Amino acid sequence: MLKVVKNLYDYRELMLTLAWKNIALRYKQAYLGIAWAIIKPVTLMLIFTLVRAFVGIESGDVPYPILVFAALLPWTFFQESTSDAVNSVVGNTALIKKIYFPREIFPITSVMTKLVELGINFLILAGLMVWYGMLPSIHILWVPLLLVYTVLAALTIALAGAAVNVYYRDVGQALPVLLSLLMYASPVIYPLQLVKDKLLTQQAAGEWSNALYTIYTLNPLAGIIDAFQNAVLRGTAPDPHAMLPGMVSILLLLPLSYLYFKRAESFFADVI
Amino acid sequence: MPIIEVEHLTKEYRLGAMQGLKQALRNAAARLTDRTVTERPLFKALDDVSFSIEPGEVVGIIGHNGAGKSTLLKILAGISKPTAGRMRVEGRIAPLIEVGAGFVPDFTGRENVYLNGSIMGLPRREIDRKFDEIVDFAEMAEFIDTPVKRYSSGMQVKLAFAVATSIASEILIVDEVLAVGDLAFQRKCFDRMEDLIKRQGRTVLLVSHNIRQVERICHRVLLMDHGHVAADGLPSEICTRFYSENDEKIKRQSAHAARAREQTTGDVENARVELIDDAGNVTDRLHFGESARIRLSFDTRIPLVNPTFGIGIHTTDFLYLATENTHERFQGMTLPVGHHTLEMTIPVFPFLPGAYSVRVGINSGELSHVRYYAESLATFRVLIPGQRIRGNMKEGFVSLAPQWALY
Repeated sequence: MLKVVKNLYDYRELMLTLAWKNIALRYKQAYLGIAWAIIKPVTLMLIFTLVRAFVGIESGDVPYPILVFAALLPWTFFQESTSDAVNSVVGNTALIKKIYFPREIFPITSVMTKLVELGINFLILAGLMVWYGMLPSIHILWVPLLLVYTVLAALTIALAGAAVNVYYRDVGQALPVLLSLLMYASPVIYPLQLVKDKLLTQQAAGEWSNALYTIYTLNPLAGIIDAFQNAVLRGTAPDPHAMLPGMVSILLLLPLSYLYFKRAESFFADVI
Repeated sequence: MPIIEVEHLTKEYRLGAMQGLKQALRNAAARLTDRTVTERPLFKALDDVSFSIEPGEVVGIIGHNGAGKSTLLKILAGISKPTAGRMRVEGRIAPLIEVGAGFVPDFTGRENVYLNGSIMGLPRREIDRKFDEIVDFAEMAEFIDTPVKRYSSGMQVKLAFAVATSIASEILIVDEVLAVGDLAFQRKCFDRMEDLIKRQGRTVLLVSHNIRQVERICHRVLLMDHGHVAADGLPSEICTRFYSENDEKIKRQSAHAARAREQTTGDVENARVELIDDAGNVTDRLHFGESARIRLSFDTRIPLVNPTFGIGIHTTDFLYLATENTHERFQGMTLPVGHHTLEMTIPVFPFLPGAYSVRVGINSGELSHVRYYAESLATFRVLIPGQRIRGNMKEGFVSLAPQWALY
């Protein structure tokens, strides 16, 4: 574990350069430049707010637009970084065939690149908070930890996905579809509180209710999004009950994903 | 203590494309029912290769296409893993395998220097320090802030070469990169390589099809053939062997291959060239230093007025070495319709061992029209009586038959 981190630390300059390349490349010939990073979550926020006007979603004490925007921050980061990372190995065929450095640098760099866009979106969130007159509490200090956790969750899918994608390009095609489905299974449009009320308080699914809730929270994004909203908007600590199942699954899957990637890595240049 | 050590290295590839879902299901079913599975065949790109290289050695790797040269370099550079065998590399490797692989077309030259440098493992501060030198060497100062996509391909390669050779690695791997840029730049690259080798004492692995270049730079040459190391030794010996194998191959092919650049008006046909050795036998092997005759026979369908004949000797890669012409010799003659034979006698055959070809031209008429011209009409080998080939025999094509004097 320590060796893995140490090894990556040795390549920090390369990762920074590659991340800079990804960002510069993305916006170099775009007139709107880095503004594209905020257009997606802002548009989604507007659409969801519009939809809510028809269907009515209970958002608690927090105004719905800012609640949904706060959910979209970790969600967009997770979605885009995994989709990008899964294609990162295949997308760098020229480098893979010509030079060796640890291949996990590609998916890791993809995820790191998206952190920059996340940072820009944070500014928008701060603006929204000012607009709604909300002040952050001490609990905002949870945010860095939550980000680390989100990065690990993204890497869990990214590493295995990127490796499989070298052999079967289906993964790169399928993942965006799966991720857009996962969004509905995560508390993005609706707050986690609604699910909690339905399953834990009202026991809507009878004796299966508690089990269903655990299954729902196996998705790490469920815990992450809720905790993020708690820390930034509601001024409370993360809900350990909602976080635990997801954390356990990441803790188990991330090492497997990494080991699979390292095993597959030796054959990238031959197969790609 | 060798810097590179390779033992029984083998690399297998599976031939053919990825199996579709249908084939995969069928194979799974076959496995379940204990029937034989149709596997894709294996191909051995490297087959039990062993050698070791000492620090400071400059080793050339030559061989035909598909002999395993690039696979070997890829494994040494860690890009690909061997199927079996062991290898040990001490120190850092800078691969110049197709320089410029990491160039991003949208980036400027400056940005690409930094990007490529850090891909090759050069710290940023190091690049800052070497930046001017790199740009200077590549002669790119004027264009360094232009996106690389607007560069000519030669400019891209110049820049990439400059970056790659500025890395202070112990081992440099060069795969077919010196054949780039214009002549002046090639020369410069060559000098830079020699500088890296001679003054900085780096270990270099060079793959090239330019055998003359390999012979000049390297201390040692590995000849690869179908995944094996066919020969390992001094450049002059190995290169000579490679040449003669190549010559044989070319000779075999040209026996039935079309005559090169044949042009005829149709008036002259059935041109044939035969070589006759000292003893008067028709042969395809001539001996250096003995007499030889080249006999040209042809049919003409029109009377040839004032004929002139040219007979030349060229290498198998069409470097013209000698051309003889009858000029005014047969002026005023008219060759009637029919079969004719021309013989050229060479009293002392001056060409050194190797493979050579004969080209022929026939002109006639008041304005000296070309009636017939063809290259590679016959290919022959030159041997030395007694098979004693001295070291200098492959450094040139002709012997000056000199007389020496020392004062």
